[in-house]
Amino acid sequence: MIGSRFARASTAVLALVALVATAGLAQAADPPAAGTNSAEIPLPPPPTAWYANPPVGASAGPVTQDLLAKSPADPSQWLLYGGGYRNFRNSPVKSLNAATVKSLHVAWAAPTGTTGQFEASPVVYGGVMYITTSYNRLMALDAKTGAFLWRYDVKLPDDLRLCCGPANRGVAIGGDLVFMATLDAHLIAFDRMTGKVAWNVVLADYKDGYSATSAPLIIGNLVYTGIAGGEFGAGGFLDAYDLKTGKQVWRVHTVPGQDAAVLKSWAGDSWKSGGAPAWTTGAYDAETDTLFWTVGNPSPDWNGDTRAGDNLYSDSVLALDPKTGKMKWYFQFTPHDVWDFDGNTQLFLIDTEFGGKPVKAIAQPNRNGYFYLLDRVTGKFLRASQYVEQLNWAKGVDDKGRPMVDPDALPQDSATKRVCPSNLGGMNGSWSGAYDPVTGLVYAPSIEACQTYQKGIVTYVKGIPFMGGMPDTTDANKNKSYGLLSAIDVKTGKVKWRYRDAKPMMSGVVTTAGGVLFTANMRGEALAFDQATGDKLWSFRMGGAARGQPIVYEIDGKPYVAIPSGGWASIDGFAGAGSILPEGGQIFVFSLDK
Amino acid sequence: MKPKRLFLAAALAAAWLVGASGATAQTGASIVTPATAATPRFDAPSDIARGRSIFIGTCGAYCHRINAANGDAPNLFDCDWLHGESDDEVFHTITHGVSGTRMVAFGGALPDEDIRRIVAYLKSASQCKK
Repeated sequence: MIGSRFARASTAVLALVALVATAGLAQAADPPAAGTNSAEIPLPPPPTAWYANPPVGASAGPVTQDLLAKSPADPSQWLLYGGGYRNFRNSPVKSLNAATVKSLHVAWAAPTGTTGQFEASPVVYGGVMYITTSYNRLMALDAKTGAFLWRYDVKLPDDLRLCCGPANRGVAIGGDLVFMATLDAHLIAFDRMTGKVAWNVVLADYKDGYSATSAPLIIGNLVYTGIAGGEFGAGGFLDAYDLKTGKQVWRVHTVPGQDAAVLKSWAGDSWKSGGAPAWTTGAYDAETDTLFWTVGNPSPDWNGDTRAGDNLYSDSVLALDPKTGKMKWYFQFTPHDVWDFDGNTQLFLIDTEFGGKPVKAIAQPNRNGYFYLLDRVTGKFLRASQYVEQLNWAKGVDDKGRPMVDPDALPQDSATKRVCPSNLGGMNGSWSGAYDPVTGLVYAPSIEACQTYQKGIVTYVKGIPFMGGMPDTTDANKNKSYGLLSAIDVKTGKVKWRYRDAKPMMSGVVTTAGGVLFTANMRGEALAFDQATGDKLWSFRMGGAARGQPIVYEIDGKPYVAIPSGGWASIDGFAGAGSILPEGGQIFVFSLDK
Repeated sequence: MKPKRLFLAAALAAAWLVGASGATAQTGASIVTPATAATPRFDAPSDIARGRSIFIGTCGAYCHRINAANGDAPNLFDCDWLHGESDDEVFHTITHGVSGTRMVAFGGALPDEDIRRIVAYLKSASQCKK
């Protein structure tokens, strides 16, 4: 016992020495107090945080609502998961173009030290990059050099309830705080300059099947986060918390039991274990002061026998008053879903044309294979067009937006029909797309795969998987899955160009004012394409299967492209993107010589 | 504790007390007991069919798979049992889960009979060459 205590203490000291020696600014903030090596006094747990002293990025001042509303207009900042509130992920940096992109080289790189998918989108402010890794490690790095400034490793329990890996997709930043939601369903606020915890609230009991994986969103003095748990029958919700205190301001349940119309859409008491998680990040329209948030699959995923009805508000987009959570309208993409077609893919708030008239629209490449266009003021359905190559679960979408389901595509007791797209999509909420206002194209990376589905007996018990079936990864097993990056014309819904990859495309996209977009593939390559033509302009072998969300920023007039690398064998294989590549995250940041 | 589980525990305890050959007390995450005489196998065709359906509805998808080429949860059809291969050991693993992994404890969540039916299905569908 004593030996192990000494070992732990010496490890802590070594870590402290190493960090001070290499990073200069960093130090372990909570070293064991003097005298704690006495055998009678228990040692504190090993350090899990290295705080910055002196504080970093202090001169930048607090992140104001004005800055958030303008993001990403200032190229030295990338403040939101979606780049801006309308989720275009479109950088104003012009210096990356077809001529210069070939000269990109690695400026710096940093390891995550974790396995599991590295899905984050970095945030950059005040010269500091804030990035999360799998298993909720939050790192503050010098955005120009990659030097570690502070780091916080959340201590997670060993009995997490995760459907799909230890992912985290990044932080939100507001005031002088950064916010991370955790796999054990907490929301934690950190001082952006030191890394110290300002507050830490429990969203829900993870043992009931809850987890949180996505970047929160901030509007004014409220921070919003949804929740995952749709594979456990855990009731979905979206929460708003006071940014400064962590006090809950409101909660919207995605299956509100007090709503008679909602209850009518679920047989019996099935709504009580109906899932419908709000597991991705929303969008905000400042013009109409509307918060949009999407909702995922009803539970159990693949057996709808006990939940006859449309199962509201699963697989929907909700339009909400951001101050109160009051619903303005909703639209359901996949009523009575039995394929796990979460409605949680990225929403793009685009002002475009439809029927020859201007319209303030929402565009979404949905997991079910259709590209939707809605009126974002009224919620009215405008159009759905197929953006994947293979789609047969429905025979189209009617003029009210309701899919015309092929009955043969419903899960059976024994799998028969090959159904497309796969349950993971199409596109999926765990990665981003991007929009370019110049070309008018939405760029959507997707899985091209089909599966057979079978259903089975399942009983709801809190905290136990509640999926009701099993998609057989037909195409993945036969190595027939592949990937697409589709450039979809928002005005017509038609695909203008496509890049086809040998493996499903499961990493996000960033577009730039220079006409070049960046993404990455599951074969370990960072990629650049001409936004107008789809011509491949550049690639770099990062090594790991890419599951993260690239961003672009500029410091001292130099452009930087940050792209995470590192997959998770389980889901990658499930999608048909399994490979020899080992897990392990690394962020690569590329730049140009001046 | 449910009556059936109480019965099973009592049977195991009795087997140990009378010194049934090879019986040992439960230690850590594994249990070794030949007390199968007291634990029906639930391996009639109708039991196996129900076990298969529960496996598909409850154990499959993002975790175990029938075709386990692509997955991180152990392949349950290859005879490589990580936590013991006897029916009772597999029953114990399902009932108590595996600490530190995504394998949660299904004991109390599923009736013991249904866990036995899952075990019977897994054994019936095994692709073991032994």
